[in-house]
Amino acid sequence: MLELSINGGAYESRAEVGKTLLEVLRDELGLTGTKLACGEGHCGACTVLLDGAPALSCITLAHTVGTRDVTTIEGLRDHPLVGAFVRADALQCGFCTPGQIVSAVALVEANPSPSRDEIRHRMAGNICRCGAYPRIEEAILAWRG
Amino acid sequence: MARLIKTEKEVEGRYEETWVVVEEDVLDQWPAGPLEVVGRDAERIDGLERARGEALYTADLKLPGMLHAAVLRSPYARAHVKRIDLEPALAAPGVRAVAGPGDVHVLTDSPGYPGQAVAAVAAETFHQAREAVKLIDVEWDVLEPLLDPEEAIARGELVEEPRRYERGDLERGLAEADVVVEAEYRTQTLLHNSMETHQSICRWHGDGKLDVYISTQFIWGVRDSVASQLGLNPDDVRVVCEFMGGGFGSKNGPGDYTYIGAELAKRSGRPVKCALTRREENTATGNRNATIQRLVAGAKADGTLTALGGDYVNAVGWAGFSPMTGGPMQYLYACDNVRVVEHGAKLNTPPNAAFRAPGFVEGTFGLECILDELAAKLGVDPLELRRLNYADDDADGRSYSSKNLAECYRLAEPHWARRDDVHARSEGQWKRGIGLASQVWFGGGGPPSYAWVRIGADGRATVVTAMQDIGTGSRTAMAQIAAEELGLPLDRVDVVLGDSARGPYASISAGSSTIPSMGPAVRSAAADAGRQLLEIAAQRYDKEQRVLSLKGGNVVSQDGGSWPLAGLCELLGDGQILGSGARGPNPTGMRILTFGVQVAEVAVDVETGEVRVERVAAIHDVGRIVNPLGARSQVEGGIVQAIGHTLSEDRLIDPQTGIVLTQTLDAYRMPTIADVPEIVAEFVDEPDKHLTNLGSKGLGEPPIIPTAAAIANAIRDATGADVRSVPVTREEMLRALREARVGAIPA
Amino acid sequence: MELYRPSTALDAANALGNGSVALAGGTELVPLLRDGLVRAERLVHLADAVPRGVDGTRIGAGTTLAELEVDPQIPAALREACRLAASPQLRAMGTIGGNLLQATRCWYWRLDFPCRLHGGDTCHARQGVHREHAIFGNDFCASAHPSDPAAALVALGATLITDRRELPVLDLYRLPTEDDRELTTLEPGELILELDVPAPEASVYLKAMDRQRWSFPIVGVAAARFADGVRLALSGVAPIPWPLDSEEALDAATPLPGTAYKVELAQALVRRALAAV
Repeated sequence: MLELSINGGAYESRAEVGKTLLEVLRDELGLTGTKLACGEGHCGACTVLLDGAPALSCITLAHTVGTRDVTTIEGLRDHPLVGAFVRADALQCGFCTPGQIVSAVALVEANPSPSRDEIRHRMAGNICRCGAYPRIEEAILAWRG
Repeated sequence: MARLIKTEKEVEGRYEETWVVVEEDVLDQWPAGPLEVVGRDAERIDGLERARGEALYTADLKLPGMLHAAVLRSPYARAHVKRIDLEPALAAPGVRAVAGPGDVHVLTDSPGYPGQAVAAVAAETFHQAREAVKLIDVEWDVLEPLLDPEEAIARGELVEEPRRYERGDLERGLAEADVVVEAEYRTQTLLHNSMETHQSICRWHGDGKLDVYISTQFIWGVRDSVASQLGLNPDDVRVVCEFMGGGFGSKNGPGDYTYIGAELAKRSGRPVKCALTRREENTATGNRNATIQRLVAGAKADGTLTALGGDYVNAVGWAGFSPMTGGPMQYLYACDNVRVVEHGAKLNTPPNAAFRAPGFVEGTFGLECILDELAAKLGVDPLELRRLNYADDDADGRSYSSKNLAECYRLAEPHWARRDDVHARSEGQWKRGIGLASQVWFGGGGPPSYAWVRIGADGRATVVTAMQDIGTGSRTAMAQIAAEELGLPLDRVDVVLGDSARGPYASISAGSSTIPSMGPAVRSAAADAGRQLLEIAAQRYDKEQRVLSLKGGNVVSQDGGSWPLAGLCELLGDGQILGSGARGPNPTGMRILTFGVQVAEVAVDVETGEVRVERVAAIHDVGRIVNPLGARSQVEGGIVQAIGHTLSEDRLIDPQTGIVLTQTLDAYRMPTIADVPEIVAEFVDEPDKHLTNLGSKGLGEPPIIPTAAAIANAIRDATGADVRSVPVTREEMLRALREARVGAIPA
Repeated sequence: MELYRPSTALDAANALGNGSVALAGGTELVPLLRDGLVRAERLVHLADAVPRGVDGTRIGAGTTLAELEVDPQIPAALREACRLAASPQLRAMGTIGGNLLQATRCWYWRLDFPCRLHGGDTCHARQGVHREHAIFGNDFCASAHPSDPAAALVALGATLITDRRELPVLDLYRLPTEDDRELTTLEPGELILELDVPAPEASVYLKAMDRQRWSFPIVGVAAARFADGVRLALSGVAPIPWPLDSEEALDAATPLPGTAYKVELAQALVRRALAAV
C-alpha cells in the first residue's frame, strides 16, 4: 500500500508502480484541480508542491513521493494568491490557473516580494495559451492585497 | 414580434444569405454617457471557481461506469489499410468495445494524413485502451504523400474552388503607379494548443437519446451536427459544456473523438470518454494553415494607392477550408484596383481549422509589411500612408455600420511619436525600432440567439441561456448586461449556461461573435423581466408605470420615490418573473467590421539575431466595451499569442513522411511569461449606433491580427532588414540581416 | 514494474543492470519509459543513495539544478547554465547527475524514427528538418546535446566521480559510431556520485534560445578562465557537449544546410564569452 501525505491528510493508494502522482490525485482521489494538459512535463498545468518545491505531477511517479508533503490547489484554496489572481483578471479559460497559482505559491513562500524579473524567471514553466501573463505578473506583485 | 427576413450571416469572414426568423429589436441603445455596470471593470464572476480548481471541465468529469477510449491513428500521410485485425485488441485486458474502418464515418481505411483516425478501443482505463490499440494488427499499403502546396496547386489538388475578388483593373493600377513593390511573404503552420485537449464523453440513454459532455465553442452546433450525422432528432442530443479550457477556433464542431465515443458507447453500453492526448491534439485537431503570399502594391508619388494584388496559396491540408487570406487586402484600404486570388492546396497533411481570425492574421502580415516597404520607397511616413488611403466607404457599395479607425490612428499618435526615443535607445549590437500595422475583421455577430432572465423573491436575477464561456469572460459580460438593464449590482446576477437541455439556443463562440450575438438577447430578456417588475411596482406603489425605472437595486420614481427592489420581490413568494429576449437582426446592407491599429517596439541583437518585443500599444474599435478589464485581457492574450506566432511557434513536418515533428510542447514553443512585452490596450469605446440594442462588436480576434506585421515592420525600422517570413527565427533574422548588409554595400 | 529505494550507493550500484534502471529526478526517464524509448523492469530510486548538496568544490550528483542556480559557491558559468536550463519545475526536480545523462531533443529520436541512435541505419535529421541540430561531429548522427550544465562543466574542467572511477566530465561523452551507438562512456551499472568543480578566475555561460526561458539551447557557450588560459565548451552544437580550442576552431564546423546559421551564432557568442572572462 502506497501512503501519501496530501494537503495535510494521509491517503492510501493501491496504485501500481509506474502510476504518476497526477493519476493518483485525479483518478483515485478525485482531486481534479490539478490538471492534465500535456502529460509530458512541458506545460506546468499539473504543478503541485513537494515539501514546498514545485513539481510536475504528470511525470512524478507516485511511488517516488515518499514522505514528502504533497500540496495541491485544493490545499491552497484560501491562499491570498487565489484572490489576487481573480482581482487582477489573471485567468481566462482557467485551465492552467491552478498550476499557475501553485507555482506562484512556491515563489512567494521563497520570496514574499519578488521583482518582475524574478516572477518571469520563476513562472516560465507554466504555459497559459490564453496569454494571461501580464495579469499573472500583476497578481503576484500584488498578492498580499 | 417575430418576422421572417433574408439576412446575411457571417462567421469568421464567410457570408451566407439565408432566411431567418428574427424578433424585432425594440429596445433603443442605452443613452450616451457612463453606465452603472456596463463599461466598468468587473472581476470574472466565475473567477474564484476556476482559480480554486473547483470548476469542472470536461476533462474532470467522470460518469458512473465510464470507459476511456484510445484511437489508432495513421502513422502514414497517405496509405491504405489492406488488412486489419481488431481481435487482439478486443481480447486485451479491460477492453469493452472496439471499432474499425467504416464502423463510424470518422474511422477510415484510407487515411490522407498522419494522425487520421483508423480504429478505436474503449477500455476500463485509458492505459488499457492505449495498450490495446497497440495490439491492433494492420497491414498497410503505404502511398506517396503530396506535401508541397505549390505542387498541389500545379496539379489542381484543391480543397475548394479558388476564391477570386476583383475591383477595378490591377494592371491599369500598376501602370498608373509611380512606385511598385513586389514581394513574397510566407507564414507558417500554427497549432492551437488549447490547454484542455479536445475531448468529450458520450452517454446513451435507453430511449435512444444521447448526452454529449464536450469541450466546445458551440453547444448547439455540436447538437445539430451529431444529430444529423447519427440520424437523431436534434433534441435527442443533449450537449453540455459548463467550463472549457480554450478553443481558439479549433472546437467549433464535434470532432472525430465525439463520433468515436458515441459509437464505442453504443457498442459497450457504457459512457465513453474520448480525450485526446497532447500529441493527438497537435496532429489531428486542426491548425492555422501555412501560406505563401505573392503580393504587389503600387502607389502614386504622393502615396495614393493605385494597385493591390495578392496571389495566395493556403496550404490547407487533407480537408478543411481555404481561409480569406486576401480579406485584409480587399477591405482595409481605399484602392481602386484590387485583385485577390486564394488557392486552397489539398495536401496529405493534417486539416486546418479556424484559428483566431483565420486568413486575416496571415494576410495582414503580408499586406501591412508590403505597405511599409512601399512607404519606405515613397519616403512617406507609414502612419501617414495609411491615413492617405483611408477607406471612408466600403468599396463594394455598402456603408459601414460604424468605423472609427481614424480615431484609432489618432490615439496611436503618442505611441508612434516615441520613434525617436526608441531609436535613441539603440546601443551596441541592440538596435531598436518601431512599427505599426492596422487591423480589419468582422465581429458583428448575428441572430438567432435567445436568453431568459428569471427573478425570484430573493431579488436576484438569473440569466439562463445555453451558451458557452470559452474563457473569454462571456459569463461575466452577460451578467453585467443584465445587471445594467435591471439596475442591479453585479453581485445580484447569476448566469446559468452550458447545457442545451437547460436554456434556449445560443450563438457559437467564434468569429468574435459572443458579445454581439448574445449580449443583445440577454439585454432584451432583462428588459422584458424589468418591464414586468415595473408593472408590479406600479400597482404596489400606486404609480404610473411610465414614471418608474430600475436603478441601483431600487425602483425609482421620477417624482422622487424610491423603494428597494428586494422588498418588491419579496411579494413574489414562490412566484417568478420570467423575461425572455432574442437577438434582433443586423442592419441590412451595411458592412459590420472591427478596426484597430497596433504599434510595436522591438530590440534586435544584430549579431545573434535575437528579437525582443519590448512594447505593444493596441488601439481597437469594437463598439461599446462591456467589461474594460476583460477587454484588456483579451487584447493582451491576443498579442501574446501573436508574439508566439511571430517569433517562436512553428509546426514542422518531416519532408519525407509528413509526420508532425513538433507534437510536444518542448518542440512547439508557445510564449512563456518571460516573453511578454509591456502591453498598452486602448479602445475607442463608441457604441455602433446601427448594431443591435447594445452597439457592441466582438473583440476575440482583432488583437491577434496586426501584431506580426507591426513587429516585422519594427524589425525593418530597427535594422533595415526585411523579414518576409514568420516565425522570425534566429536563422531567418540572421539571413535577413545578411541580405540587408549585402544590399547596403554601394554598387 | 517495481521500485527499489536503496539507502547506499553500494546497494544502488549492485541493484543496477539486468532490467534495473537508475531513477533520480525522473524528468527525463519517466517520459521515456512511457514512450517506450527506455525499458525497465525495476527502477532503482537514487534519492537516498547519492550525495546531495554543495561542499566547496564538490557537488553531490543528487543536487537539483534549482539548488545550484542560487548557490554562491558555484562558479558563475555553472550557476547560469542551471538558471537558464529547462523550467522552474524541471529544475526543482532534475538533478545535476541526471542532467549530464539527458538524451537529445532530436524530434526524430524522440518520435522513435528508426534512426542510428535507435540502432537504425540512417540519420533522418540529415535529410529532414534539422535546424536545431549539430554543426560538429554530425556525420553519423546530427543530434544536438541539450545540456546547458554539461557544457559549463566541460569548460570548467570538472571531474566526475563515479562509484568506480574519476574522470574529466569531457570523457563522460563519446560520439556514436556504427559499432557503438552510446553517447556516454558510463559502464553498465556505473553510478555518478559527485562532481568536483575547480574554481576559475572568471566564467560565463551564454545561451541563445527560441524563447527567453524554458528552451533548450540553439547554441550555448561556456567560457572559464584559469591561470593557464581560457577553456570553451558549447551546448546544442554536437551530439555531445563540445569543447572548443578557440573562436577560429568554429571554422572547422560542418553545418548542415539548415544549421549554417548556428556557426554565425556561435561565433558571436564565443566572442562575447571570451570578452566577458
